[in-house]
Amino acid sequence: MTGFAVLVVDDEPGMRDTLMAILELNGYGVSSARDGETAVAAVREGAFDVVVMDVRMPGRDGVSVLEEMGDPPPQVILMTAYAQEERLRAAVKANAFAIVHKPFDTRRMLSLIADASRAVQNLPQVTT
Amino acid sequence: VAESTDHDRAHRRRVKLRLRLISAVTLIVLGGAVVASSLVVRNIIRDQERVLLQERAGEAASVLGGAFAGVQDSLELLGTLAATDQGRASTFAGAARSVITTSSEGVLVTAQHGSSMVVTAAAGNAPPAGQAIPADQELLARRALSTTGMVSGVLPDGSRRWLAFAVGNAAGPGTVVWERAAFSAAASAELPTGPWGDLNLALYLSSRPEPAALLAATTSKLPLAGGVSYPFTVGAETWLLVASSPTPLVGTLAGDTPWLVLGIGAVLAVLVTMVVEIQGRRRDYAAALVEVRTASLRRAVTDLEQAQAQLVRQEKMAAMGQLASTVGHELRNPLAVIMNVLYLLETMAGAEASETMRRHLATARRETSAATLIVSDLLDYAAGRAPMSGPVHLADLVTEALSVVPPPAGVEVATHLEPDMEINADRDQIRQVLLNLITNGYDSMPDGGVLDVSVRSAGDSAQITVTDTGLGMDEETRSHIFTPFYTTKSRGIGLGLAVTKRVVEAHAGTIAVRSTPSVGTSFTVTVPAARTVSVPQ
Repeated sequence: MTGFAVLVVDDEPGMRDTLMAILELNGYGVSSARDGETAVAAVREGAFDVVVMDVRMPGRDGVSVLEEMGDPPPQVILMTAYAQEERLRAAVKANAFAIVHKPFDTRRMLSLIADASRAVQNLPQVTT
Repeated sequence: VAESTDHDRAHRRRVKLRLRLISAVTLIVLGGAVVASSLVVRNIIRDQERVLLQERAGEAASVLGGAFAGVQDSLELLGTLAATDQGRASTFAGAARSVITTSSEGVLVTAQHGSSMVVTAAAGNAPPAGQAIPADQELLARRALSTTGMVSGVLPDGSRRWLAFAVGNAAGPGTVVWERAAFSAAASAELPTGPWGDLNLALYLSSRPEPAALLAATTSKLPLAGGVSYPFTVGAETWLLVASSPTPLVGTLAGDTPWLVLGIGAVLAVLVTMVVEIQGRRRDYAAALVEVRTASLRRAVTDLEQAQAQLVRQEKMAAMGQLASTVGHELRNPLAVIMNVLYLLETMAGAEASETMRRHLATARRETSAATLIVSDLLDYAAGRAPMSGPVHLADLVTEALSVVPPPAGVEVATHLEPDMEINADRDQIRQVLLNLITNGYDSMPDGGVLDVSVRSAGDSAQITVTDTGLGMDEETRSHIFTPFYTTKSRGIGLGLAVTKRVVEAHAGTIAVRSTPSVGTSFTVTVPAARTVSVPQ
């Protein structure tokens, strides 16, 4: 177990399920959300270290969710299958940890998530 | 605009060169007509002049003839008087004196006495009776005796000359009755002037204008040039009056009329010719203008048609690009999921996986990668974004591209890279071009070979050449390789070279291909060089 909590947000059940399985297999604590609203709520309720989120979803898209993340925000890795340069620029501005184009190499995604987790670990922790 | 200016210049040059044919013909025809008219007018006026002169000469001749018409009757009457009045010369003399009007005139009768002619009766300016007449005057007497009717002649007598009329046998056989008048020279007083004062006249006592027979003339310039001859009868003989006119009888204006006709006609001919020429040139100019305008219109129509065709093509390509984009993007999600699943299967099976399973999993992964590449091609083709230019060092880029796609087994790579060649280009796009050409080269050499990549300068351009020693292409294939979705490969959807061409053209460059079946293929990309750091030679 890595002990890190990851939230997977994607409207595609296939992507959601396989990513969850892969992360569980690699020792992450994993939750999932099927859309932006649910994701925002989940991030507010639970403490996630990393959010892996699709950009294009029905309703709120990944970028707007990223812009509304709580404080301290989790590290967000955005996934996209579409050329939406404007949204991606907005994502970079909102401090996305990485933007990954679909289809991606699964091992590379895992190493990115590991990097993001470590980045979270290195943040000054506010303990309550 | 430039064309019409050229046209105007050409037109002006042609205009200066010469008259147009129709104008030249017009000028020649009109000129000929004018000259002909002038000649006709001149002839008419000359005829008129001649007729007038003839008439005037005729009048003068008839007056002269009339003046001498009574002389023969008078001499015959005087002869009769002399014959019937033998011994009483006073009757004859009285009658003779009534005939004589001036002191220079005289009347005499001669008769043959022996070998000489002796005066038998005389009155006025005449030798006295009994005197023989000079031998040279006998000739006239003899002529009179041998002629029926009156003869006439000019008789020399010292410094004086006599105009003499003689009628033979008028006072009995062998007698001659004379009337003579002395005159000092060819005096004009003898000729009728007055109404004929404007004429030059010469009177000959002969039917021909012989100088010896000249009785009188109004001018010393003899014979009269251009004169008319008017013969008339005096007694038994023919006299000749020659007349000419120093000034035109028809008037000065009439004499000038041919020249007026010629002058005015010439001016009119030139004017008409100018009008014809100007109209012709206008028409030519208009026709030339129409030609130019028609040509430009035709060009515009052609341009429009091309633009329309281009638009249709672009629309088609845009639709195709839209389709490629949609399909490409929609395939990315399932591909990502499949790759995740493959990872899960591989990881979960782990070391326990059978050989068969591993092989199947490897196949699935390979095919998924191929599908991913196809999707990439589709999206590259669909993206078609404008180049984001920056300096690109070509030798470095080629090295990088070759490291991204290492050659398959059996293929050797050779490079000939001119150092320091830079172009102003979109690095990612040119990298994509290189990757496409290099992987195409690899693919065309399934049995191995050499791939040569060279970079060199060509004038103001940079040339990238990728040459393989592979299968090559026939002409039919070669003509289609840049068409989207055309492929000869078992894999791929035929967008690589279409994308390559579009990228090169977006960089204001060209791509050329040479290929020989079984020998190989060579692609040459030429793009404008940003600058060449040339080594001084």
